[in-house]
Amino acid sequence: MLLALLLCYGGFTALCLSMDRHHAELLGCKPSARRRRGMKLGGWGLLALSLWAAVSSTGWGLGLVEWFAVLMLSALLLVLLMPYRPRLALSLAGVSLLISPVAAFAQY
Amino acid sequence: MKEGFRQAMAWLHTWAGLIFGWLLFAIFLTGTLAYFKDEISHWMQPEIPARSVSSEASLTLAQNYLQQHAAGASRWLIDLPDAREPGLSVRWQQSPAKRGERGQFTEKLLDPQTGAEVQGRETTGGEFFYRFHFQLQMPYPWGRWLSTIAAMVMFVALISGIITHKKIFKDFFTFRPRKGQRSWLDGHNAVGVLVLPFHLMITYSSLVIFMSMVMPASILASYNCDVRAFFDEVFPASSTPELAGKPAQLAPLAPLLERAREQWSGGRVGRLTVNHPGDAHASVVLVRDGADRVVHDFGSAVTFNGVTGHLLATTPEQSLPRAIAGSFYGLHMGHFAGPVLRWLYFICGLAGTAMIGTGLVVWLGKRQLKHAKSGVMPFELRLVEVLNIAGMSGLMVAVAAFFWANRLLPVDVAGRADWEVNSFFIVWGLSVLHAMARRGRAAWVEQLALAALLFGAVPVLNALTTPYHLGITLVQGDWAMAGFDLTCLGSGLFFAWAAWKMQRSGTAEAVIRQRAQPITPEREVN
Repeated sequence: MLLALLLCYGGFTALCLSMDRHHAELLGCKPSARRRRGMKLGGWGLLALSLWAAVSSTGWGLGLVEWFAVLMLSALLLVLLMPYRPRLALSLAGVSLLISPVAAFAQY
Repeated sequence: MKEGFRQAMAWLHTWAGLIFGWLLFAIFLTGTLAYFKDEISHWMQPEIPARSVSSEASLTLAQNYLQQHAAGASRWLIDLPDAREPGLSVRWQQSPAKRGERGQFTEKLLDPQTGAEVQGRETTGGEFFYRFHFQLQMPYPWGRWLSTIAAMVMFVALISGIITHKKIFKDFFTFRPRKGQRSWLDGHNAVGVLVLPFHLMITYSSLVIFMSMVMPASILASYNCDVRAFFDEVFPASSTPELAGKPAQLAPLAPLLERAREQWSGGRVGRLTVNHPGDAHASVVLVRDGADRVVHDFGSAVTFNGVTGHLLATTPEQSLPRAIAGSFYGLHMGHFAGPVLRWLYFICGLAGTAMIGTGLVVWLGKRQLKHAKSGVMPFELRLVEVLNIAGMSGLMVAVAAFFWANRLLPVDVAGRADWEVNSFFIVWGLSVLHAMARRGRAAWVEQLALAALLFGAVPVLNALTTPYHLGITLVQGDWAMAGFDLTCLGSGLFFAWAAWKMQRSGTAEAVIRQRAQPITPEREVN
């Protein structure tokens, strides 16, 4: 479940950065069109990967439930963190993507 | 046309949400607490020790106890302890005096390690929140009807809310705090949209759980208005062998657990029923504990002969429609959830409660603005304000009062469990009076502060009235007990923060109003 959570959080942060307004809020400038597309693709990719991570570890029944749970939790965490601690929200995404290989290694 | 449709949906969302908002808030909050009902019960009956003992060992103890104390009973019921419910409960039913009557039940709780009787204090425990959540403390069909209607309205409010909310994807990550009314609406949208899968699941599944009550047409049509025939077919009565009249020694029950596990590929036994113990035709029914699967199976069981240990019967595989209904039931109840997932369920439930609460605040805030200058509120707005205060902060105070009553009422007072429940409702009623007597913001601040005090002091209260304080439970690893104390402390801190925030925004508003006053006459002159 940890791996799915890390990937979900990273994915949502990428999707968030693919929007002009949030990119400007968090990083101080508008994203280029290429960057926007990259963020969008990366974000959806990470979410899909997290679904696979959840389902492959506990099967479809429990895996889907766990995936939805971490999906909602990570989005809620990101949205509540962004206005108060924007730097923390961003660095958490970086850290979670960095340690996700370790979590993947622990899971398999 | 499209705008008209959206406006109609906004109207529906506004008014359906308002009328049922307070009821739904209470249903969501108590339902969220019910996810931890075993842990709450454990805290409210601290006399029952939490032990990790194997099912086999506790079953042997239970069998010994029953053979000594209830050898002549017609039926034994044994509920095995699990990680969440530490008590080993044994019940037995005497043979009825007359045929067709129900025999009298006796219930005892045993310590799963020693087999000695444990006397827990009389309390409804977490079961109260679970029952209130769908029965609303009303007599039999009415509470269920009202909560089911509320669920239907919730579903309507969710769908109409999605249609009303124009920019779901554009505003997906948007939350702008410290902007007054704007922030409340942002918060309402954020918890609504981000936790939408949970909201839809929990609301729809609640309708599925009560489907035979809400939509009986298909049952009535195919069973010629005989609802009982439907239930008899869906839940066939267990056929127990007739009494032989010859005494025979009951085989040890513990080895049957392993054989049941083999039948269910690892599934645990939750409850055992022994029919006619001590008779040659004794039978043992082992009912599966649903906690290992998402899809709930109603009454999956295996039956063994009690003397020889031969397998007598197994329940058939679940059919697809039953599996679908069972999966909605399982998802709603969350029996399968381990500690982490259970906390996530709890957080999602709180998010749902917050969505309803913020919705109620937004409704009032929007309409209050018009009367901000005069400072006089029309009756209907004042009514909504009082209900908001009592329905939200008052309910929190009442929940805390329920826990306090559990520790403060003498252990041997008559009708103790009822008095706990009464104190919940008395305090809730008092919060209505308080909200009526005080001005809006003052009432909010005072009730939130009281909730903060009551919840924050729960660990202290527990330490003063029982020997199971945090210093001991944390060391012993009794996480249910320690977690309850810590969660209460956390909620206390949250309410203190909310009260402080409310107080501060109140003074800020007053300052702005004072500053704004000298400007108004000038405008009038101009």
